[in-house]
Amino acid sequence: MAIDERLAAERAGKERNASFELAMEATAEGRAPGDAGAALARASLWRDALQRFRGNRAAVISAIAFLALLAFVILVPWLSHEDPYAVNFAEAYQPPSWAHPFGTDEFGRDLFVRVALGGRVSIAIGFAATFAIMGVGITYGSISGFIGGKLDNALMRFLDALYGLPYLPFAILTLAIFGTVNFWTMVVALTIASWFTTARVMRGQIITLKENDYVRAAHAVGARWYRVLFRHLLPNTLGVIIIFVFLELPGVVLGEAFLSFIGLGINPPKASWGTLAQDGYSAYQTHPYLIVIPSLMIAWLILSAFFVADGLRDALDPRAREY
Amino acid sequence: MLTFIIRRILWTIPVVLLVILMTFLMMRQIKGNPFRNSERAVPASIQRNLDRKFHLDKPWYEQYAYYVKGVATADLGPSLVQRNQNVNDVIKQHFPVSLKLGAFAMFFAIVVGIPLGILSALKQNTISDYLSMGFVNIGYALPSFFISTLLLYFFAVKWRDVTGLPTNGWGGWRTWILPSIALGLAPLTVFARITRGAMLETLQQDYIRTAKAKGLRWERVVGLHVLRNSLIPTVTAAGPLLGYIITGSFIVESIFGIPGIGKYYVTSVTGRDYSVTMGITVLLSMLIIVANLGVDILYGFLDPRTRDQRS
Repeated sequence: MAIDERLAAERAGKERNASFELAMEATAEGRAPGDAGAALARASLWRDALQRFRGNRAAVISAIAFLALLAFVILVPWLSHEDPYAVNFAEAYQPPSWAHPFGTDEFGRDLFVRVALGGRVSIAIGFAATFAIMGVGITYGSISGFIGGKLDNALMRFLDALYGLPYLPFAILTLAIFGTVNFWTMVVALTIASWFTTARVMRGQIITLKENDYVRAAHAVGARWYRVLFRHLLPNTLGVIIIFVFLELPGVVLGEAFLSFIGLGINPPKASWGTLAQDGYSAYQTHPYLIVIPSLMIAWLILSAFFVADGLRDALDPRAREY
Repeated sequence: MLTFIIRRILWTIPVVLLVILMTFLMMRQIKGNPFRNSERAVPASIQRNLDRKFHLDKPWYEQYAYYVKGVATADLGPSLVQRNQNVNDVIKQHFPVSLKLGAFAMFFAIVVGIPLGILSALKQNTISDYLSMGFVNIGYALPSFFISTLLLYFFAVKWRDVTGLPTNGWGGWRTWILPSIALGLAPLTVFARITRGAMLETLQQDYIRTAKAKGLRWERVVGLHVLRNSLIPTVTAAGPLLGYIITGSFIVESIFGIPGIGKYYVTSVTGRDYSVTMGITVLLSMLIIVANLGVDILYGFLDPRTRDQRS
């Protein structure tokens, strides 16, 4: 009970802060604080959502953690003087120290830089595959939901058939078809059997939105289908899409790590977190930090993205909590 | 109810055909012929005979028909790499191991995950809720290869003298413990989270307030009303969770050196043993399809409202 009350008090404090800031901005722009008309004009969905998001402590911390991770992988290879590919056997298997915060690997390469570089690869593949999944899923789902009727039925039956298929065998098959593993083949492999849920949710969204009065009104005044779709329906799904980006990203990064771990990753000397973990696994009995560090980076990404998605969902759509 | 079940079972037939077709078309895209790439040159006449024997001279839809016939009669053809081995032999040899491992992992996930979810829902916003949900979130975020390695490092290497657990292999209960835990942790977190969410929602229902108001003991309210209604979503999650188990088994089996189907699948892809790859893919897909079928029927029993809507 005590914790409950403290949380509630804190939340109230946050909200007070938020409204205080709003008031400050309003005064700065020469309006009287508490001017109802001005506040109403500025309280858009996104502004509301941002306020709610800022009131959610776990989400804010996760968002900062997520950004910090991005900053780490982007900045460290830039700023560091270590050559991530230079082999130096004299320095092999150094445990973490001031000179090498994450230690060195079997070739004496600095892991701090290599983990950051690997993070670039993992996160870049993660975002690219997530956008590919969103692209396919949104297209499929909106076609199905928007056109409806027999086509919708057929497309959904097709999705039902594929529902629950494990993505890993099909990703492995895809990589076998390409014959090589590089950035883009990896993206295709991770997309090919992962877009079903997105398509299903998008269809549901479009169908629900279609029933709204403003959509009927748009039709009634003679708006063409593409205007209804691109002006009225799709922009209203943006919140769900953003949430889904943060829900998909961890799964995709993990999928890439799995594929790398079973030997189907990006070719050396390039690395991703998955290939680094695989390297570390081969020496886990003597040098456990080699697998611990890349794995914790993956966990960091997954956890922060997960809580950001959770916070975004509460902020953007407080009523819908099912997905 | 019976028509629902029959309709649902019949619906799996086109689904299976579609999944086989997709796998089949994907497999055809893989470059290289299993025979033409061998180091010894094969005379043209033998090549023709080989093509005829494996129907490679037929158009693709006939090959597909042959393959479907093979699946229907449980004959997945010969292995292309291992001489005198059928795909059936490979599956018979490796699949039971994976099945056992998967069953152990699922058992572990259910036995730990559901009580954990129940506990944290009943004690919402207390220390035990935070602790168990913290554990669940960490378990969800750590990749399975890391959990496997951690378990190995501590229980099979560092404290080996105490635990006596081996680092790899498959035979006897000592070899089963660590891989089952490693594989079960991901579905465990999902079970715990879904159970918690469903419990919290059920606890707010009017009939729970009614049950409390009419003076039922709290234990009885929970046992009779809350648990029963909140386990339905948990049951439906069990189907998709099979996918988690399959994905995880690829990793866990290769780390613990378990001769299961996931480990063999990777070997067959890198060794270009196409018929084995295809056979295992079809087998795993059919496993999922059957699990979805089972979940839907079970759902129909548990929640009569769903019977008419889903066919």
